[in-house]
Amino acid sequence: MTALRSTDVSKVFEDGFTALSDINLSVEPGEFVTLLGPSGCGKTTLLKIFAGFYAPTTGRIELNGNDVTNAPPEKRDTAMCFQSYALFPHLSVAENIEFGPKQNRIDRTSRTGRVNELLRQVDLEQHRDKLPNKLSGGQQQRVALARALAIRPSVVLFDEPLSNLDAKLREQVRREIRGLQREFGFTAIYVTHDQAEALAMSDRVVVMRGGRVDQIGAPEEVYERPETAFVADFIGSANLLPFRRVDDHSVETALGRLTVADQPDSSARFLCWRPEDAEFGVTQGENLITANLSERAYQGSYTELHIPLPDAPDQRLHLPGVAAGIGDRITFRLSPERIRFVRGELE
Amino acid sequence: MTLRRGLLILALLTPGLGVILLMIGSVFYVAVMQSVGFYNLTGEDSFSLEHWRKVLDSKQFGRALSYSAYIAVVASIGSVAIAYPIAIWLRRPFRGSLVISALLKAPLFVPGLVASFLFLNVIAYHGIVNQLLMWIGITNAPIRLQNDRGAWGVVFLQLWKNMPFALLLLTGAVQSISDEVLDAARDLGAGGFDRFRKVIAPLTVQAMQASLIIIFIGAAGDFAFQVTAGPTNVQSMAQYMVFLKDSFGRWNQAAAVGLSLMVLALFGSLMLAFTARILSKSGKW
Amino acid sequence: MVMLLESNAIPKTAKRKAGTLNRVLMIVLMTACAIWLVVPFTMAVLWSMVDPQTGWEYPDLLPPSLTLLRWAEVWTTTALPQALANSYMLAPTVAVITLILASPTAYCFARFDFPGKGLAQILTLLPLVVPGFVLAIFFSSLIFSLGIYSRFLSILMAHCVLFLPYAIRVMTVAFGQVRQDLIDAARDLGASPLAVFRAAYMPALLPGVLASLIIVFIQSIEEFAIAFIVGAPDFTTIPSILYSYLGYNFIRPNAAVVSLILVVPNVLLMLGLERLLKSANPAQSGVKG
Repeated sequence: MTALRSTDVSKVFEDGFTALSDINLSVEPGEFVTLLGPSGCGKTTLLKIFAGFYAPTTGRIELNGNDVTNAPPEKRDTAMCFQSYALFPHLSVAENIEFGPKQNRIDRTSRTGRVNELLRQVDLEQHRDKLPNKLSGGQQQRVALARALAIRPSVVLFDEPLSNLDAKLREQVRREIRGLQREFGFTAIYVTHDQAEALAMSDRVVVMRGGRVDQIGAPEEVYERPETAFVADFIGSANLLPFRRVDDHSVETALGRLTVADQPDSSARFLCWRPEDAEFGVTQGENLITANLSERAYQGSYTELHIPLPDAPDQRLHLPGVAAGIGDRITFRLSPERIRFVRGELE
Repeated sequence: MTLRRGLLILALLTPGLGVILLMIGSVFYVAVMQSVGFYNLTGEDSFSLEHWRKVLDSKQFGRALSYSAYIAVVASIGSVAIAYPIAIWLRRPFRGSLVISALLKAPLFVPGLVASFLFLNVIAYHGIVNQLLMWIGITNAPIRLQNDRGAWGVVFLQLWKNMPFALLLLTGAVQSISDEVLDAARDLGAGGFDRFRKVIAPLTVQAMQASLIIIFIGAAGDFAFQVTAGPTNVQSMAQYMVFLKDSFGRWNQAAAVGLSLMVLALFGSLMLAFTARILSKSGKW
Repeated sequence: MVMLLESNAIPKTAKRKAGTLNRVLMIVLMTACAIWLVVPFTMAVLWSMVDPQTGWEYPDLLPPSLTLLRWAEVWTTTALPQALANSYMLAPTVAVITLILASPTAYCFARFDFPGKGLAQILTLLPLVVPGFVLAIFFSSLIFSLGIYSRFLSILMAHCVLFLPYAIRVMTVAFGQVRQDLIDAARDLGASPLAVFRAAYMPALLPGVLASLIIVFIQSIEEFAIAFIVGAPDFTTIPSILYSYLGYNFIRPNAAVVSLILVVPNVLLMLGLERLLKSANPAQSGVKG
């Protein structure tokens, strides 16, 4: 039985704005699924539909096999972790966590046991009587998570929980969230615009754009085998080139004739390769490209170099170390296996 | 904190706070003194607790006290109880919400006496309410609605005048609660009334208290509504106080009543605010 | 989109339910407001225009003839002109004096911190805590025993004290909005104290000053208890005249006229104040808050 399923879900708001179309998603129990996309892609709207704050315009939402499409948030077996934590400012940490179980009429002894257990698990025992405004961002985040877990929901919904934390803390809390999810075994739907987060944490990633799903897959799949130009460019960087098919194994591009392993099908629009796939110090083999460099940006672990092309965007290379400079001539090889074809437009 | 700075601050505070303290202090002093026999404007000055005894023994005083207390409690609790749901309803803007909000706050612009007049006009013997009742068929002849014995007229006027004020204070407080906190409460299983009890009330306690206190004090000391629209068989404290002064110049007794009214206003409003705070914090309504 | 909404496959969404509920409540409240506001005011206006000749008796739903004669009659035969003069002389004076008295204290509250500041701020609310009639009665005893016989002066003093809390509050907020960085910038550019005042203080203070003047003005015009107790019978104000028409001789048309005279200017002033405060705000928000 799936934990969460949306079927043909769409959402059109009162002012006519279509936030979501054709959302079909099935999530297994215990899965960690991330909704990834730029702002405005509808990921938060979808999350709120799962939570019950919005009702879909069309389609169905099922939770553990039950149709909950019209059920309000207070009657669903979901719990949400809000971006702003949304802790009750007038209640202490322990009282915040206790709120849900109290609402569900759990008796006092069980409640206290649950609260103490959670406080231990998120390592906030000595802060139990503090008010939220006395806690740091990371601590508030942990309280929000404990509060959600206190009602033992089958699905926990995360609304960009790390966006208000600084970089170092983000990494740490990220691991804590994933750790707790594995330990408790709840299903997690996680919304973020940060692709590094999505790749690191998820079992599956749902890449969204303009209210639609572009691709669903495991992180490796979505990165190594992007299906659309948008997915290729949104996760990591990608070089996209229009192409003309020559025969079964080669295409003509602005970089010259390239040998490819995959065959482009009729919907393929661009040829795609990633900057870090360029091989250097190779003097023989197929797909040897020589070009002049126009721009250079040192990034520490690599240097980004640009190859200008007529009628096509600059192609980008990532070289380890410092290596070449502007105006230099450089030769690199592209392995045919690393070349993909993607459909769709970028804009 | 240097001496110079201290003096500067005192100097700055004098024209404003100083004047207030001087005036209120003098008035209070005169009140106390008058009630024990001094500042006798019509007779001899002499210390005496006789005036207090006369007032506290008087049946009229007892009735006036309980009547004013009743009106004050009903006006304050009623105004706040009506204003809360409206403030929550108007929390986030929707089409027409600004218009409704402005219309509901309009009575703030209308002075009490004008409100009395408008009210009297509408419920007059040949006024529109009577005409409406007869037209619908509920009554055959006009009924005398004015100065009713149950003080419904006064209560209505108090609510008409004070509910917009409570609405004003509560709207600001309710709007300051973030959407996500209320969403979180829903998400954890709290329905409408539970959200009020456990989240909205505790977070708006100060506005609630301020409304209760100010409305209570105003309603306890009411004169205009009572005289124009109130029952004739009982007097409000303020009315009784003026009556004592006007008839036989019993200034000293009037002073005692006045002080009692101040005590009622202050003590009653603080009790009310305290109770409201206790109820809000515990979440048990 | 319209087709989507009409299709049977669509469940009634929660948002749509909220929309209809809102609409129903709106209609209910609009009707209530009509009864709450529109009807009484219309009655008042009508009554003020009843022809003295024909009157307005039951069972006529509306007065048979309307005329402005009533207004003329009230003006020429009653003490209304005097009351108007008194009120409109008193109120501006009160407004200005209160502003002057309030400003130093407000400046102090806005820009200084000192022990006991919280208590001081609460104490400024004292006049609001004493019921109006109590204040009026004892104040009149006070001035009587002090031998002050000018009624105008007495009411003036009382009004100033009564409305100081409002002026202090408004001006404290105004002084608080004066931006320190603008003061610093002006001084840094070599401005004289007067120029600093004009450049940095005035833009923030002006709306506050006007707000304070208008609020105190309106309060003074409407104030009844002190004007009645202290002023009667020599010094009448508009509210005390209105009261005389509401007492045992309920002269409806006169009361209607005076009511309108009392309310309409106030409403206009309040609307003007609202517009003023709205337009003043953009000037205050700098680039970085």
